[in-house]
Amino acid sequence: MISDAKRRALADSAILSGVLFVTSFAAWAFLGRSDQAMITYLLILIVASLGMSSFSAMTGILSFGHAAFIGLAAHLSALLTIPVAAKGMLLPDLPGWLAAVHMPIWASLIVTVAVVTLIGVVLGLPIARLGGSEAAIATLGLLLIVHAVVIASADYTRGSQAIYGVPRIKSIWAYFAAAAGAIFVTRYLAAARLGLLAQSIRENEPAAMSVGIRPVRVKWAVFAFSAAVSALAGVMLGHHLTVFSPKEFHFDLTFTLLVILILGGFSSVSGTVVGAVLVTALVEGLRRLEQSGIFADLMGQSVFGLTDVGLSIAVLWVLYRHNEGLFGHRELSDVIAGWRNTPPKLPEAAAIPEETQAPRELVVEGVSKAYGGVVAVDDVSFTLKTGEIVGLIGPNGSGKTTLLGCIAGTHTASTGTVKLGGHDLTHAAPYQIAEQGIGRTFQTIRLFARKSAIDNVVAAVAAARPQLSQQAAYAQAMGFLEMLWIGDLANRQAGTLAYGQQRRLEIARAMALRPAILLLDEPAAGMNEQESDDLMSILLSLRERFGVGILIVDHDLKLMMRLCERILVLNKGQLIAHGSPAEIRTNEHVLEAYMGRKATTETNNRELST
Amino acid sequence: MTKNGLFGALALTTALTSAAGIAAAEDTLKLGYIGGLTGYLAPYDQPSLAGVEVAVDEINKAGGIGGTMPIELIVRDMRSETAQAFVVAQELVDEGIDVLITPCDVDPSIAAGQVAQAAEVPAVTSCASTPTLPGVVGDYMFSNYPADNLQAAVLAQYATEQGYKTAYVLLSPETPYTERLPEYFMVAFEAMGGKILGVTEYSMGQQDFSAEVTKISGLDALPDVIMTAAYEPDFPAFLTQLRNAGIDTPVLGSDGIDSPTTLGLGPIAEGVVFTNAGYADEGSDLAAFYDAFETFHGSAAESAFTATGYDIVKVIAQAVQDAGSTDGPAIRDAWDAVKDVPGATGTITFAGGNRVPLRAVALNKVTGGELDHVGTFVPDAASVPGPDEGDH
Repeated sequence: MISDAKRRALADSAILSGVLFVTSFAAWAFLGRSDQAMITYLLILIVASLGMSSFSAMTGILSFGHAAFIGLAAHLSALLTIPVAAKGMLLPDLPGWLAAVHMPIWASLIVTVAVVTLIGVVLGLPIARLGGSEAAIATLGLLLIVHAVVIASADYTRGSQAIYGVPRIKSIWAYFAAAAGAIFVTRYLAAARLGLLAQSIRENEPAAMSVGIRPVRVKWAVFAFSAAVSALAGVMLGHHLTVFSPKEFHFDLTFTLLVILILGGFSSVSGTVVGAVLVTALVEGLRRLEQSGIFADLMGQSVFGLTDVGLSIAVLWVLYRHNEGLFGHRELSDVIAGWRNTPPKLPEAAAIPEETQAPRELVVEGVSKAYGGVVAVDDVSFTLKTGEIVGLIGPNGSGKTTLLGCIAGTHTASTGTVKLGGHDLTHAAPYQIAEQGIGRTFQTIRLFARKSAIDNVVAAVAAARPQLSQQAAYAQAMGFLEMLWIGDLANRQAGTLAYGQQRRLEIARAMALRPAILLLDEPAAGMNEQESDDLMSILLSLRERFGVGILIVDHDLKLMMRLCERILVLNKGQLIAHGSPAEIRTNEHVLEAYMGRKATTETNNRELST
Repeated sequence: MTKNGLFGALALTTALTSAAGIAAAEDTLKLGYIGGLTGYLAPYDQPSLAGVEVAVDEINKAGGIGGTMPIELIVRDMRSETAQAFVVAQELVDEGIDVLITPCDVDPSIAAGQVAQAAEVPAVTSCASTPTLPGVVGDYMFSNYPADNLQAAVLAQYATEQGYKTAYVLLSPETPYTERLPEYFMVAFEAMGGKILGVTEYSMGQQDFSAEVTKISGLDALPDVIMTAAYEPDFPAFLTQLRNAGIDTPVLGSDGIDSPTTLGLGPIAEGVVFTNAGYADEGSDLAAFYDAFETFHGSAAESAFTATGYDIVKVIAQAVQDAGSTDGPAIRDAWDAVKDVPGATGTITFAGGNRVPLRAVALNKVTGGELDHVGTFVPDAASVPGPDEGDH
């Protein structure tokens, strides 16, 4: 059994490939050689743009660099397949073993894709370590550097001169197979575990790390995959053109691929395929119009460049009307479901096993955090056992969120240590801390906003328990949603949920890690009294069922007094009080911090309990 | 109408159409033109097409080739994309063209040329100047423009005649033109007894040439002449920095600097000598062509590529007339043997040239902010480096 998401991916791929099959068949059976060449080029463009979009769709990083892999693959496959005699004339300075190699195209395809993927692995690491626009600029650097290296390696590439005599792949079915294969693999991967993790990073990197997703590793894997798809495109393009030089794989090709991505949608496999078809159809239509002479008659002279003008207008129109492209982040199945008005059915919820955590203790010892001269957290020490609910209160700016950050790894303590069950987590990365069993929510909500509610939770399940089948992961995720009373919202896009629902979704996502400790940053902010009461029941039941220890920051003092066994009070970064709610209520330091004056115990009681 | 009747009528119609097609094919020459009319090739292919149009108009006004066979020109834009060149070449061959003109660059010319070669349709590149091109595609591919090795031979001959004994060469491996033309020069110059003191590489668009200038000024003795095929923006940048460093060694360039920018450099460019396809002396054929061009298009010719475009059609017309038919192999054989065809830029000979024309190359010297015509030369075949010579 496969999950619904994967079934939808296969259905999308089947529809898209089916349309391409009919097109290829029509070209093969009824069209002349020039039209067959046009359809062939479309099939190659689909593979090439999928190579580029599989990276940008999954990571949200725009790539200018994938034409480099297309070029490398074309050159390498040419080296491996040009007959030995012809190679001796073209490239007299090749090393002997390479000069003697002559492979059939299919063998060269395998070798080329493997080698270029390896190159993608090497070049991908620095790009994966960068974020957003820096990574995009790095991909542009990649294009320029590879272009320069290919030209400089004249012994292997003839420098800037053309390589020719590359054996041609004649059959349109070979190109169809490449396109269909690329569609199935990229669309399936987008719905598989790697796709889920990558899209979570795309949507919100800090949140992804908080559920244990390792951004560099995931982006790196996706980059290597996209290099492999681009290599496939390069082999097909090289054996279609049969003559090319490095400029064939530079800015013009990059621009064509970008136009396809802009039109179809940066974040969608279906959109990329449709974009390639649209661009080809538009260019062919306008070209024929241009050739028909209608414009020449109108203008009194022959006019060229209609295709460029048409493409530019199409790009402007799409950017103006749908700034994420025609498909946005949706896939074909989402669009069809929208037409038929049938949301995907909810998965069955799995019962979450209620095994209690082995008792562990979070020990915060002497933690300080300073920014230059400003001390945000000053020598704070406390402990929190699994099964305990501890509150952290203090006036605005007292350092509560910074302290949570030092525990969760988004900040690193300047001095002091954070340990869980004896493991030192002081300098651990957020995803390592998540793996160790600390889940968290954020003061400003950080969801994977354009993904469905259930996908938000599935990402955490998949990150924490990779051995689960995707179907089991969805069932578990559904279980966590129901636990937070939002099971019926599973298919809603997370960003469209009401505020209180989003808060609960964040908790469901954090709980999906099965954490020992849960850090909640203002979970009741903006909730009405009924919602706060519900939240309290939920948190108590989570503690009871899973034995999770909860550290909660909130300004709803009434909730805090009822919910927490112990309360920590921070003021100006220092822990000024620590005790039961009753003790805190009567603590003079607390009152002074909150009220700014000395007060009697009587007024304390009155003011703090309302 | 019975079924048979319908088929009979269809068959008859088809027969009539194809008979008409054959008749048309013998009455007119279908000339296909593939150019990068948009994209990076547009600065070369647009003027080249404009020149082709002038020649076609001139021949058709006189009744056609040999006074009887008008030329039908069919134009396709390949958008400066090699893949598109292949598609439109196939389209034109399917339409039954007799001769094909391909774009001003090697890759698309090979792609389109291979289609023509397979269909036995003679093809010629408008202005790709790599001399190996016809050999790569096959015996139906011709080139038209003064080849890189031809330009290099003329420059080497000029340098030798001026008494220059030593030369320094600036090249960029980024395009065949900026790399191979200087390499051909080195072969030809050394064959004539000259000595190359050194070679330095630049990258196109680098702006700062201080390293290259320092290398030259650091030589034990300054060279007698500096040769390069650099063009805008590299050539003006290099020349300015060279002269500002106080080095007044003569500089030789190629047709890439045949542009108003060079003259606009003022005193810095004084004395620079470069090749191009022709110089419009008063009363010359080229001046007459430029007049005809302005009459036909209503605006002045923007570059010498108009003249070389015109020349292609004159050569094709001669070959077709000699062949006496529009049959591909017959045109090919006749083309391979044409001699002294009068073009706008001088006479053009293909006989004995392996489908690369032996044609005049003009030398121009910047003098007082104007172009001075040094002379027009057809180098003797022996002094022209072979297409594969000097490749590093």
